[in-house]
Amino acid sequence: MSTTRDDESEAGVGPSSRPTSGSPAGELQIVSSEDPPPSQINDALVLGLSIVAAVSGIVFGVAITLDAPMLLYGSALAIGLFALGYAVRRYFTDRFPLVEAVEPRLRFTDPDIEDDDAAPTSIPAIQPVPRRPFLQWALLGSAGAFLLGLLAPISTLGPRPRAGQIRQTAWREGTRVVNTEGRPIRPDDIAAGGVAYVWPEGAVGNEKSSVVLLSLGRPALEPTILDWVVEDRLVAYSKVCTHAGCPVALYRQQDEALFCPCHQSTFDTVRGAVPTFGPAARALPQLPLGVDRDGYLVALGDFEELVGPAYG
Amino acid sequence: MTPLFALLFDSIDDRLRLRGAADKAVNKVFPHHWSFLLGEVALVSLGILVLTGTYLTFFYRGSSELVTYNGSLELYNGRMLPAAYESVMRLSYDVPGGLLFRRLHRGASHLFIAATVLHMLRILFTGAFRTPREFNYLIGIVLFTLALAEGFIGYSLPYDSLAGTGLRIAYSTALAVPLVGPQVAYWVFGGEFPTGDVIPRFYVLHVMLLPALLLGITGVHLFFLVRQRHTQFPRRGIDGHNFILGKPLWPAQFAETVTLSLWMFGLLAVAATVVPWSDVALSGPYVPGEVGNNAQPDWFMFWLDGMLRMLPAFEIDLPGVTISALFVAGLVLPGLVFGALIIYPWLEKRWYRLDGDWHVLQNPLDIPLRAGFGLGTFLAVLLMSAAATSDQLSRITGIPIETVLWFFRITTLFLPPLLGFALARWSRRRLDRRDLEVARRESTESQELHGVVAERV
Repeated sequence: MSTTRDDESEAGVGPSSRPTSGSPAGELQIVSSEDPPPSQINDALVLGLSIVAAVSGIVFGVAITLDAPMLLYGSALAIGLFALGYAVRRYFTDRFPLVEAVEPRLRFTDPDIEDDDAAPTSIPAIQPVPRRPFLQWALLGSAGAFLLGLLAPISTLGPRPRAGQIRQTAWREGTRVVNTEGRPIRPDDIAAGGVAYVWPEGAVGNEKSSVVLLSLGRPALEPTILDWVVEDRLVAYSKVCTHAGCPVALYRQQDEALFCPCHQSTFDTVRGAVPTFGPAARALPQLPLGVDRDGYLVALGDFEELVGPAYG
Repeated sequence: MTPLFALLFDSIDDRLRLRGAADKAVNKVFPHHWSFLLGEVALVSLGILVLTGTYLTFFYRGSSELVTYNGSLELYNGRMLPAAYESVMRLSYDVPGGLLFRRLHRGASHLFIAATVLHMLRILFTGAFRTPREFNYLIGIVLFTLALAEGFIGYSLPYDSLAGTGLRIAYSTALAVPLVGPQVAYWVFGGEFPTGDVIPRFYVLHVMLLPALLLGITGVHLFFLVRQRHTQFPRRGIDGHNFILGKPLWPAQFAETVTLSLWMFGLLAVAATVVPWSDVALSGPYVPGEVGNNAQPDWFMFWLDGMLRMLPAFEIDLPGVTISALFVAGLVLPGLVFGALIIYPWLEKRWYRLDGDWHVLQNPLDIPLRAGFGLGTFLAVLLMSAAATSDQLSRITGIPIETVLWFFRITTLFLPPLLGFALARWSRRRLDRRDLEVARRESTESQELHGVVAERV
């Protein structure tokens, strides 16, 4: 069945369209238009392909997240793309007339014709055949599910946080305390009132494990854990601020306070490094500190409190 | 037009027939007011950033692996430095012109963000965001966000001590997001900070993804502008609602833009020659666990840093979730500021029940809501920014840091609402005082639209 749909497309031009200059540049002259035959198979095909595409997209996403064989997610990706493409194609051939049209050429070197950049009329000249709208939703839903699956590679951008990983540092029972050059430290190396920035042996530069080792000028008070104070004066605290993670790098001698240069959180080293000022809410965790048989400072275990800022 | 140029132009146009469209474009009229140059300054800065940034990519290495520096800077000769920092040192001290280009890039970045902020304030306070320009205003906010992200990442890339500290705070803030924080932080940083992934990733974001978005969306922003035409300030003798009075693009505005671009570039060249913009040699490479005494971000991040300093300590432990001051100060409160920016056009429209097109600009003091809410919020952001200098202020004045911080806490909490209400009240009084007849005469003579608003308040 072949009909000319010129009149219909003309009728579609509403009063809201902009006035055009009358030049044919923006207009579409339909030569022939053939409505697609009604077909039950087509609906089933589009629906089926939509489901295949959606499922493929989800399979792709799940498989890549679970690190399944590439054969699986690669094929799922390919199948999904082909199915979605074919579904779109069948949808359009079923819902829109097969149209052939003529578009006038611009003549470039003819001095008489007027320059024209008039936009084509905003109302599409080709109207869809009125049929059930539900396939449209099936197609859109399928495309949505497929795209959702394609987002899965985001999950490969970084490891999954393992339980306790954020809490864990490089300190273990018996790990020696070393300076930045990696040399182990004896209690005598830290003079009275001295401060040293120290690391676990074998993990110098491991940011989360950085520690401030201090020799207190007066006896440590609660809530300092006194068992972890060596020779009644040496105490070790995490150097990572519990507010935003900056190094608590400044030591203020007059009140034996550790001070964070980023947001001015201040910690009282005599009283278990509790925050006395600023935005930090928790004390700097105290490192269980002891001395090994050879007389070197060692950790008695990892920190018991969370090192660094809180996490959601 | 010289004959040769005309010949070339004509022969091209004979093949494209764009003369009509081109004539239309060059006839676009630009109203004159200095504040209309702010957006243009931002645009030109963006161009300079692309040019100088492209040059920098020829030398920069986006990696935090340690390499040995062998260059003319005695301070680091023979030392192991992160490759990013090492390449910045080499670029700055061993490539002729390298330091100049780096400083030009830095200077242009400051100018870009400053001009963007001032442009945004101009749009906000004069009411240029009103119908039909709300969507272009939102596009502008997207561009502003991208500019801030580019600025922060650009500040991070040299991987100096300050950059590493800034990245650590950003990582901590991401961790602090309830429920999804750790996973999101690992996705962005590629694992626990400091990982080897962060610099290469941020490099690609800085030179590819974000600039592409920035340039593309700027194109849309300008398309909206050209299509919707400029707003303009009320002027006697011109019906501003239906006409724009100004200079056409060709030749007056074109000449002005070219002059502006070249002079701006010139000013930046002067600044780059004499001002040591972010010469990161002295702050040293980022070393985990180390930080300098003055840990401060760039000025456009001051408001966030100030919030981090001011918000009092708290950590609420709920089952499975921790809500920390870091999360609230670093994400929730900035989110509220951005939220207020985003909804403001619709808030004002609802408040004054406005409809129709609005093309004539206003004095913000004529609109009580804008005077109060807008200027109040702006003051709050200014005070938040000032709070980021608390440690410096304390050191310079000798006032204890505690006192300085409490000063900012109290002023930030109370001054903006006080000023806001006072301004709104004053603005309303001003409108009341204005004789109704005068308002009506003004509105017929110059088509100033604030008379209409005055009646509705």
